[in-house]
Amino acid sequence: MFELFFAMVKEEWRVHSTIFGNLSFALFPVLIFWIALMGSFLLPVFREALPAGNLSIVIHSTFLMLGFMVGAFGLLGTEVMNRRFGQASLLSYSARSLPLSERVIFTTFVIKDTVYYFFLWVFPFGLGFAVASPFIGLPPVVPALLLLTLTLAFLYGLCVIFFLSTVYSRSKKILGVLLLVIAAGIGGITVLTGTNPARFFPPLILFTDFSWEMLAVSCTVILLLFVVSLLLFSPDISGTSKHYQNRLSPLTRKLSFFPSPPLAAKDLIDLSRSGSLIGQTLFSFLIPLVVIWFFLSVLSGYFPPHGLLLMFSCVTGVIASTMYTWLTMFDTFGAYACLPVSVRTLIVSKITSFSVLQLIPAFFIAATALLSGEGLYLFPALLLCIPISFFSLGVTVWLTGLSPSVLVYDVKVMVTYLALSGLAVTLMSGLAFTDPLYSLAGLLLLFPAWWFMRKGMTRWESREQPGF
Amino acid sequence: MQDNYPDRFSCRDRNPHISSDVHNSTEIPAGDVKPALTTVMQAEDLTKVYGDLTAVDHVTLSVEKGELFGLLGPNGSGKSTMIKMMTGQIRPAGGSAHVLGIDVMTDPVGVRKLVGIIPEQETPPSFLTAAEYLDFVGAIRKIPDIGERAAWWFDFLDFADKKDVLCKDLSRGTRQKLMFAQAFIHTPELALIDEPLINFDPIMQDVVKKYLAGYVKDGNTVFLSTHILEIAEEICSRFAILHKGRLLYTGATADLGDRHLDGLFLSLVQKERHV
Repeated sequence: MFELFFAMVKEEWRVHSTIFGNLSFALFPVLIFWIALMGSFLLPVFREALPAGNLSIVIHSTFLMLGFMVGAFGLLGTEVMNRRFGQASLLSYSARSLPLSERVIFTTFVIKDTVYYFFLWVFPFGLGFAVASPFIGLPPVVPALLLLTLTLAFLYGLCVIFFLSTVYSRSKKILGVLLLVIAAGIGGITVLTGTNPARFFPPLILFTDFSWEMLAVSCTVILLLFVVSLLLFSPDISGTSKHYQNRLSPLTRKLSFFPSPPLAAKDLIDLSRSGSLIGQTLFSFLIPLVVIWFFLSVLSGYFPPHGLLLMFSCVTGVIASTMYTWLTMFDTFGAYACLPVSVRTLIVSKITSFSVLQLIPAFFIAATALLSGEGLYLFPALLLCIPISFFSLGVTVWLTGLSPSVLVYDVKVMVTYLALSGLAVTLMSGLAFTDPLYSLAGLLLLFPAWWFMRKGMTRWESREQPGF
Repeated sequence: MQDNYPDRFSCRDRNPHISSDVHNSTEIPAGDVKPALTTVMQAEDLTKVYGDLTAVDHVTLSVEKGELFGLLGPNGSGKSTMIKMMTGQIRPAGGSAHVLGIDVMTDPVGVRKLVGIIPEQETPPSFLTAAEYLDFVGAIRKIPDIGERAAWWFDFLDFADKKDVLCKDLSRGTRQKLMFAQAFIHTPELALIDEPLINFDPIMQDVVKKYLAGYVKDGNTVFLSTHILEIAEEICSRFAILHKGRLLYTGATADLGDRHLDGLFLSLVQKERHV
């Protein structure tokens, strides 16, 4: 078990370092450390605008999201192995040739992912804060406690997504019921106590008021969710001979107004048959955004009137731009290498499919606006969300071409993406806060979006396509 | 075996499974450009470097129309890299390459329009069925009668029962059949095929070998990469031996005389190792 664990960690490192180079990838945790260090020095400035309690909510929610992200990326039920590793032969496949069960391998895989991403993201952040804390007048116990609670927040994200995705792989109906129960529970808490449910998040409670009992409860919940998930896990059994009706030709005809109808049809079939459309919408879009809504609503006092919906629309725009990864994550250029298809054609097709998927954030923002009683501001909200999504997509295409889910771990790519998307969000939310009508300026974002996309197509067309 | 396959795309006289009365037509599919060339493939000083490794080292070779040319070499000798460069999948570090008169560096998509390719690894899209994949290839290549052609290939390679199964659930052999079908479904003048027989059983190997022999007799050209020397000796008219990216030998199979290809291959490779 230990040998397998260490081999998996080594393998994960080599996958990343082969893609980015040893030094470039080794710099990733250094970057996180640096961001935390510099951010900590700015804490005294932040504190004047934002009480420490609310700031901790923002940081904990970020790490909860990180757990969701890692979990959703790697642990989507029965499709996990195929999605994560594609055609590559990695240790996760060793059940085929070694006397190890799928469950043992998968358990080790989960532990490896937890430890690996802890040291990649969580630990460098905690360390950066710890190094800065003496200079900003914080006792050493605060960074130690923060490291603990951030780890717990990250693990919560990971195990919740893991649990829900394994339930999803067993029965979509049970998952639906479960989500309804959770939603009813959260709604009930909000109505009965009048408190934002985000304040009941155990790592947050621990951070503000540490107790060994709460720590034990937190650890037990995490452990329980992991164990139940592992028990529910069902390995993907390939080689089934289930027959499917030919959907490509009719769909290609229906999409004849698209730039590349067969490519668009293939994308839609891929999304539907792989379970991505439902799975990703739930785990990478809806659940994170519902959580973000609760955390943002804690900060609503700091926003101008209607600011919460407008800010939420900006954030939804950025999250919606990641739908591009849904279309590219298990569709490498290798599958097209024997066909007369250029990288540009493929990117154009992915952008077209992405545009269709933008109906999801549009409906989501519409529902949020109506449910929160802000229906009047639906139009400005959409004008923020969709252009920001296309702008972030343009940046993604320019930076990563057809490999966004892999190249995101390149330090330069990550920093540039965050800086440009952050700039767009800051600018647009600033304008919208001044006057919701200024959201119209969101349409102007489509110009740089288009420019980035064109630049990206030229850039990646002239490069050899990476083989991952 | 289906009899209504358009005869212009087949080589029925060479294939024992197909009736021999319909093979004479040489009609070309609409839209295909067939330049009048003798040399269909030309590589000059072609080089590919990956970091410290020179995968292909200043290779010059040409393939003539109607040849079944075998590129032979041990694993890692640069055969697949050569095919990838000749089809514009990767860019050479130096030298030049022309396929059917097209410069692969300036118009790689143009090359892929005209040729058929079987890549090193069989990678049809996971979530399409075999039939959908051939439809997909037909739509990309703009083949009007793709349904008819696909049906013929399912029958010919004996996997019609798997046509509605997702590609990810197909066995390696069936995936190889599918990749073989997609490479020849538009009846290219030139096919570049990388280890096309490796996952086939002996019966299917025999079917495919006969198909390839018939295909070149019809005036088409096949560039075959393999490390299975018996196959190369049996079906190739000319061959080249590649080792550690360097071209060691080029010659005609007929010129081997009493010698066997494996003897020549081993002596050349071992000599190179000593050097």
